[in-house]
Amino acid sequence: MLSACEDDLNLTPISDAGSNGFYNNADDFEQAVSGIYASFGVQNNADYPSLYVIMDESRSDNIYAPGQSGVRDWNAINNFLTSISTLGTIKNVWNVTFNGIMRANTVLDQLIEKKGVIEDPNLSVRFEAEAKFLRAYFYFDLVKWFGKVPIFDTFVTPTEALSIGRSSVAEVYDLIISDLEFAINNLPESYGGADKGRATSLAAKGILARVYLTRSGPKLHPDGPCLSTNEYQQALDLLNDIIGSQKFSMADDFSAIFDYDNEGNSEIVWDLQFIGGGIGAGGYFPTEYYDEGWARINLPFPGGNPGDGSKRVSEDLLNSYEEGDLRVEPTFLIGYVGDSGDNIDAKFYDKFMNTTKAGGDRFDWSLNYPVLRFTDVLMLKAECILQGASGNQSEVDDIVNAVRDRAGLGMVSNVTLETLMEERRREFAGENLRWDDLVRTGMVIDVMNNYITNEDNSGKMLQVSNNSIIYPIPQDQLDVKEGLYQQNPGYL
Amino acid sequence: MKPIFLLSKRCSKPLIVFGVLIFSLQIGWSQRTVSGTVTDADTKEPLIGVSILAKGTSTGTITDYDGRYSLDVPEDVNVLEYSYTGYGRQEVQVDGQSVINVSLSSGAILDEVVVIGYGTQKKADVTGAISRFEAESLEERPISRVDQALVGQLAGVRVQQTSGTPGAGFRVQIRGTGSINANNQPLYVVDGFPLEVSEQNGSGDFTSGNPLDNINPNDIASIEVLKDAAAAAIYGSRASNGVVLITTKTGKTGKAKISLNASYGWNETAKKLDILNAEEWIDRASEMIDDSWEASGADRSRNQTSAERLAILGSFNRGLIKDERWAMPGHPGLMFIDWQDEMFRKGAVQNYSLSASGGNEYVQYYVSGDYLDSEGIAIGLGYKQYSARANVEVNASNKLKLGINIAPSYSIASDPGVEGKDQQMHITVGMVPVSEDTIGLDVNVGENDIYTWGNSRSSPVRVVENSIGDRKIFRTIGTVYAQYSIIEGLNFRTSFNLDNVDQNTKSYTPAWVTRNRTAEGRYSGYRRQVFVNENTLSLNKTFGGVHNLAAIVGTSYNTTKFDNFDIRVSGGFNSEVITTLNAANINAGSTFTRETKNTLVSYFGRLQYNLKDRYLLTASIRRDGSSRFGPETKWGVFPSVSAGWRISEEAFMQDVDFISSLKVRGSWGISGNNGIGDYSHVSILDFDNYSFGGSLAPGQVPSNFANPNLSWEESETIDIGLDFGLFNNRIFASFDYYTKRNTDLLLNIPVPTAIGFSSALTNIGEVLNKGWEVELSTRNLTGKLSWNTSINFSHNSNEVIQLGPENTPILGGAFDIPHNILMVGQPMYSIYVVQQIGILTQADVDGGAPLYGNQAEGDPKYFDANGDGVISPDDRILSGHPNPDYIWGITNSFSFKGFDLSFLLQGQWGGKIYSTYGRAMDRTGQGFTDNTLGFHRDRWRSPENPGAGDRGKASSSFGRIKNTDWLYHNDYWRIRNITLGYNLGSLVKNKLISGARIYATAENYFGKDKYAGGFNPEAVNNSGDDYGAFPLAKSIIFGLNVTF
Repeated sequence: MLSACEDDLNLTPISDAGSNGFYNNADDFEQAVSGIYASFGVQNNADYPSLYVIMDESRSDNIYAPGQSGVRDWNAINNFLTSISTLGTIKNVWNVTFNGIMRANTVLDQLIEKKGVIEDPNLSVRFEAEAKFLRAYFYFDLVKWFGKVPIFDTFVTPTEALSIGRSSVAEVYDLIISDLEFAINNLPESYGGADKGRATSLAAKGILARVYLTRSGPKLHPDGPCLSTNEYQQALDLLNDIIGSQKFSMADDFSAIFDYDNEGNSEIVWDLQFIGGGIGAGGYFPTEYYDEGWARINLPFPGGNPGDGSKRVSEDLLNSYEEGDLRVEPTFLIGYVGDSGDNIDAKFYDKFMNTTKAGGDRFDWSLNYPVLRFTDVLMLKAECILQGASGNQSEVDDIVNAVRDRAGLGMVSNVTLETLMEERRREFAGENLRWDDLVRTGMVIDVMNNYITNEDNSGKMLQVSNNSIIYPIPQDQLDVKEGLYQQNPGYL
Repeated sequence: MKPIFLLSKRCSKPLIVFGVLIFSLQIGWSQRTVSGTVTDADTKEPLIGVSILAKGTSTGTITDYDGRYSLDVPEDVNVLEYSYTGYGRQEVQVDGQSVINVSLSSGAILDEVVVIGYGTQKKADVTGAISRFEAESLEERPISRVDQALVGQLAGVRVQQTSGTPGAGFRVQIRGTGSINANNQPLYVVDGFPLEVSEQNGSGDFTSGNPLDNINPNDIASIEVLKDAAAAAIYGSRASNGVVLITTKTGKTGKAKISLNASYGWNETAKKLDILNAEEWIDRASEMIDDSWEASGADRSRNQTSAERLAILGSFNRGLIKDERWAMPGHPGLMFIDWQDEMFRKGAVQNYSLSASGGNEYVQYYVSGDYLDSEGIAIGLGYKQYSARANVEVNASNKLKLGINIAPSYSIASDPGVEGKDQQMHITVGMVPVSEDTIGLDVNVGENDIYTWGNSRSSPVRVVENSIGDRKIFRTIGTVYAQYSIIEGLNFRTSFNLDNVDQNTKSYTPAWVTRNRTAEGRYSGYRRQVFVNENTLSLNKTFGGVHNLAAIVGTSYNTTKFDNFDIRVSGGFNSEVITTLNAANINAGSTFTRETKNTLVSYFGRLQYNLKDRYLLTASIRRDGSSRFGPETKWGVFPSVSAGWRISEEAFMQDVDFISSLKVRGSWGISGNNGIGDYSHVSILDFDNYSFGGSLAPGQVPSNFANPNLSWEESETIDIGLDFGLFNNRIFASFDYYTKRNTDLLLNIPVPTAIGFSSALTNIGEVLNKGWEVELSTRNLTGKLSWNTSINFSHNSNEVIQLGPENTPILGGAFDIPHNILMVGQPMYSIYVVQQIGILTQADVDGGAPLYGNQAEGDPKYFDANGDGVISPDDRILSGHPNPDYIWGITNSFSFKGFDLSFLLQGQWGGKIYSTYGRAMDRTGQGFTDNTLGFHRDRWRSPENPGAGDRGKASSSFGRIKNTDWLYHNDYWRIRNITLGYNLGSLVKNKLISGARIYATAENYFGKDKYAGGFNPEAVNNSGDDYGAFPLAKSIIFGLNVTF
C-alpha cells in the first residue's frame, strides 16, 4: 500500500557529503589533500603546534611548569610523572596524528581506486607525494613521542586493527624514509603564491635530514627514536641540497622572522599555514604560552594558561642568555600588571604574540607556524659536522657566529656540540625543538637532571631516566584489547 | 496547514479518496427535555461534571456545580447513559419521564476507559502495563509544561527536572534507562499524533526541541503511559522507552460550558546554596594569606601588618598581603554582599485561560485561549506563553465524522545564561562576598576594577540585567481526520498531522559587562516539521454473546525535516546600541545552516479478544522501515502478546464479597529504539579547512567509520501484573513486576584509534532493567468529609550485561580523570572515584600513610584501594550509581462541604549525584579569590582544631583527585503541590454564572534534599553531571475559576 512511500526510506545526508560520491575528480582530491593538512589546524581545542608546546617544550628544560595544584596535563608532563597514560593530551596526540595518517591513507587508497579521474598525471603524482610527505611527518612525530607504533599504510577497519600490533621503530623509519624519498623525488622545490605552504621537495629533504640525525642519536631507550645509525653524512647531504638551492637565507632581523606581516620570509623552509578572520583556519599555539590573567588585560577574548598551571620559562633558560642578546626581547615577556593591580612575576614566551593581530577568539591567530627555519638547517649542518660528517670546524664556527652576530653577540670559535646545542636553545626557544635536541644528542638525562636539581623549588618534579625519552601509550588504547599493545617501560 | 508539501507526490495519491466523500447530513429529530440531579450514592453529595449521553447519539451534557443537568433528548432515544470518572456507568430508561435523579456509586473504576495506542479500551480489559493520569486539576497548578505535571504521579515514570531555567524540558524515564548512546526519552503521542522523539544532550538541553514544548497543560484531559512492550510495541521502533499518550479536552454535546480561570501569585527560589558569608570568607582568606606569608621567607610572622609586609616586599602582592580593612571594626570602605540575594527575586506568576466547550449532534467543540506570564526567580529570567486550541468534530452523517484539532502557540523563554559551567549562577555563587563600597555590585564592569582579593568575573547581577537571552518558539500542531463507519463495528480512520516548530534564540551581552569588554552575541534557531499520515481499519464485534473481538490494522507514514542555523560573533560589535548581528563581526567559521531529514514507514495490526469478559488476550505486531538504517537493516518487526484473567468474574469468586475485582495479567513483547541520529550508517565527510598562500583551502575528510549494518536497538519486556479491588473497590491496587532487556545497543565501542577514529558505532551492548511498581488508590472516608489517597511506588535497577567485543569498560565524565564507568555487572554510569576516609594527621604522614603527591598534615586522607602505598587514579572504586533505587508519590485529597484540599508528596532515594560543580566551589587547594561551600567553615585548621573532619586545610598544595568529596546522595522529598479550594457554588449562582471556585496553590514549596554541593539534586548540565545548576522555583498562587 505504501510501496511508493518506501522509496522515501533511502535518504542521503543533505548537509554532509557522503564519501561514496566523492573522490571523482581533481577538485575532490584537492579538497581531500587539503583535509590532510587540516590536521595541523584546531581540533579538540588545540592545533598541532600546541601539541608540541605541551609534549616537547613543556617537557624540556625551557619551561618550568610544575603547577600549583598539578592538575593541568602539562604540569604532569613537565614533572615527569609516571601516571600520565590517562592524560587527555597524550590521548589527543595519539588520536590526532593517527587521524592525519588515516586522512593521508584515504587519499592514497582513493588515488589507486579512482585511478585516472585526475586528468593531469603530474597533479596525481603531486597529490600522492603530498600525502606521503604528511604521512611520514606524522609517523616521525609518533616515533619520537611513543617509539614503537602500529604501521597503517592503508585504510584499516576496526576489526583489522585489532590484530595489528606495534611495529619496531626501525620498521616505522623504513616507511617514513620511503615516503619522504618519494616526496623528494616528486614534489616541486617551491610553489606559486596560491599554493604556498604545500609540502615541497626541500621541506621533505629537511624533515628527512632530521630523521637521519635523530636515528643516528645514541640508543638510550630500547624503543626510542634514536638507533645509533650514524647517518650524519646522509643528513648533511640533504641539508646541503637545501642550502645549495639558494631559495633561503637568514633574515637580518631576528624578530622579523615571526612578524605577522612577514610570513613566508626568507628564513622559512616550511611552515604550517594559519589565517585569521574567524573562518575556522586560525591557529591556537600563541595562546599556549600566555597567562589567562595577562590575556584579560591585553586581549579582547578570554583564554590562556590558568593561574594554577602557568607555563613559565625556566630561570635556567633565561640565565643562559648573554648580556645584550637581541633575541631576549622578541622571545620573552617578563612581568605584567594584573587586573588586581599586582605586579605579576610572570615570564613567558611572546615570540609568536602580537596583541594588535588578535583574531576573533583564541583559536583565530593568523601567524604561520615555522616548522623548519633556514637557521635550523644551517645549525643542523653544523651538528652533522661535529658528529663526524664531512666538513671542518671553521664551517661550524661560521654558522654559529652568523647566528650570534644577528643576536648582537660576539664571535666564538671552536664550537663544540655542547655549545652548539646551547646556542640552538637560545635561538629556537619557544619553537619546541629543545627536547628533540636533547634526545638526539643523548644529553637529555644529564642536562635534565641537573636542571631539575637547580630549578625545581617546588619538589614536584621527578628525576629523568631513559624511560622518560618516550611517552606512555594512552591507557584507553591498551584497554581496547588486552595484549594488543604493551605499555612502554616505566609507566603505570 | 499545508501538509502535502512534505509528502512525496506518489505517497499522497491513495489517500485523497477521502476528499471526495459525500457529506450526508440528517437534520430535524424531534426532542423532549429531561432534567434532574446526580448524586454520590454513598454521600448523597451532588456530583459535578457527570457526563450524560443520549445512548447511541452524541447528544449529551454534563452536570453543573449543584449536580443538576438538563438535556434535550432526541425522540428516538429512550436510554440515557450517566458516566463519571471513578464511578460506575449507569443507564436509565427515559420512558416519558421529564425528571430523572440518579445516584452513582463509586468504585466501578473498572468501567473507566483508558486510551491505548490506536484506540481505547476498558480498564478492566487491559492486559498490558498502562498508567493513567487524570489531568483535571492541572489548570490550578502554576506549571508551564505537561512533563512537569507528571512528576510524582505514576509508578515507574521518573520525571526528572534537570534544569531550573524557565520553559526547559524535563527528562522522562519510563522503567529506567536502557540505552547508552541512543535516545532514552519516551515517544509522545498527542491525540494520536506521534511527535518526533528527542533526547537531551550532555548539557541537559533538548537541542532540537522537546516534543512537549509549548503544549498547554490546561488543555490536557488525560495522560496514559504505556510502560511494557505489550502496550507500547504497537509503536514499534520508537517504543522501547515507553509511550506517553496525551489526550486533549474535547467538547460534549450540550449547552456551551465557558470556563474562565485566572490566577496570580509569586515564585522564588526553592533553595539557596550554603556558602561562606563575608566574615567567613575573610577568615579563610586571612588564614591562607598569613600561611603564605609565613612560608614565603624566614623571619616572617603572621602578626606583621600589611604595611610591614609591603615594606619588606617592596611591591604589593595580594597573596601575601591582606586587606587591612577586614580586621577593622565596621570594615570601613568595604561592602559585604550576599550575591545570591542580589540575584534572586520574587517573581510574579499569572495565568489566564478561557475555554468554551459544547456541541450538538452535528458538531462538538472545545476551544481555548491561554496566557501565562511567569517572571523568573532571578533577574532577567522569565517565561511567557500564548496558546490556543480548537478541537472540533463534525458528524457529517451517521457514518462519517470529520475532525480538526489545531493548536498554535508562542512562547518566549528569557534566560541571559544562568545555568551551567561559567554561567551566571555559577559566577554568582563563586563571587567573593566583599566589594569596595564605592563599587558595590558593579564589580569589574565598565570602568570598575575587580575587588583586589576577588576573582576576575564581572558582576553577575549587571550581566543578567543587561544581557539578552530570548528563546522564542512558535509552534502549530494540527491534525485533520476522517472516520467512516463502513458497517456497524467496522471503521476506517485516516489522519493527517503536521507539527511545525520555529525556534530562534537571540543572545547578546554588551561589552561593558564582559571581562574583556567585548560584546558577545549569537543568533540561532531551527525549523522542525513532522508530518504523519496514519490510516487504520478497526473492527469491534461480539460473536455469540461471549466472544468479544477488537482488531485493527493500519499504516503510517512519518517524516521529519529539521533545518537549523547558527550565526556567531567573534570580535565584538561595531555599535554599542544595536544588538542585532548586522552590527557584529560574524565568525564565519562557526556560522552555518544545516538540514536533516528522516522517514519512517510502518504497518501494524492488533487483535484483542476476550471470552466472557474474563479471559483476555491481545497480540500486536508492527513492521517499521526507517531511513536511519542501511539497506540490509532498514526493516524491523516488533511483536507482542499479552493475556489476562479476570478471576473475579468467575462463578467461584462471586461469594467472596470483599474482593470486588481481581485480575492477573502477563505480557511479552519486543520494541525498538531508532533514536540514533539521521545518517549514522552513512560514511560521511566533514569539512576541515586549511589555507595556502593566505587563502582558505576547503578540505574534506572522513568523519566516521560507517557501519552499514547498523540496526535497531531492541528491548524485550516481560511484565507480570496483578490488579485488584477490595471492599467495593474502595481499595484498588495494581502491582507489576517486569524485566526489560535492551539488546543490540548502539554502542560507540572503543577501537584502536590508530585507524583514525576513536570509536565505531556498533549494535553490541546489552543492559537489563528490572523492577516492580505498585499503584494504590484508596477512598479512606466517603462521608461528608471525604478523603482519598493514591500512592505510587516503584523500584528499578539496571545492570550492564555486555559492552564491546572485549567488554572493555567505558569511562566517562568531564575534567581531570574520568569519574564514571560503564562496566559489565554494574549499573550504568556507576560513579568511580577515590574514597576520602578522613583528614591526614602528622602521625599518618610520618607513619607512611599512602599520599597523593605532596600531601601533608591537614589534607584529606584517601583510601589506597589497590594497596600500592600511594594514592593514584588506580585507587578509584565503584561508589554508587546515579539512578535512584526507588521513586514514589503520594496524593491525598480531602473534601468537606465546599472545601477541598489536596497535596502531592513526591521523592526518590538510592541514587547519587557527582557534582563537578565542586571543581569550581569545593576543590582541594582552592584559592581565596572564589567563594567556597559552607563545608569549609568547619575545615581543618590545626591539630587542635581539626574541624568536622570532611574538609582539609585551606592552604593546601597537593592538587586534587576525583574523590568522594563531590559525591552526594540525590535522595529528596518534596511537597510538589498543595491546593486548597472552596466552591462558591450557590453563593454566586445567577443567570450568567453557573459556578465559581477560588483556590490557593503552593507548588514545590516544601522539601528537603541531601545535595549540599549544588542547587538541584536532579541536575544535568555538563557531560551528564551538575556543574552550575540553576535552582528550581517554588510558588504560591491564588486563583479564581468561573464557569458560565
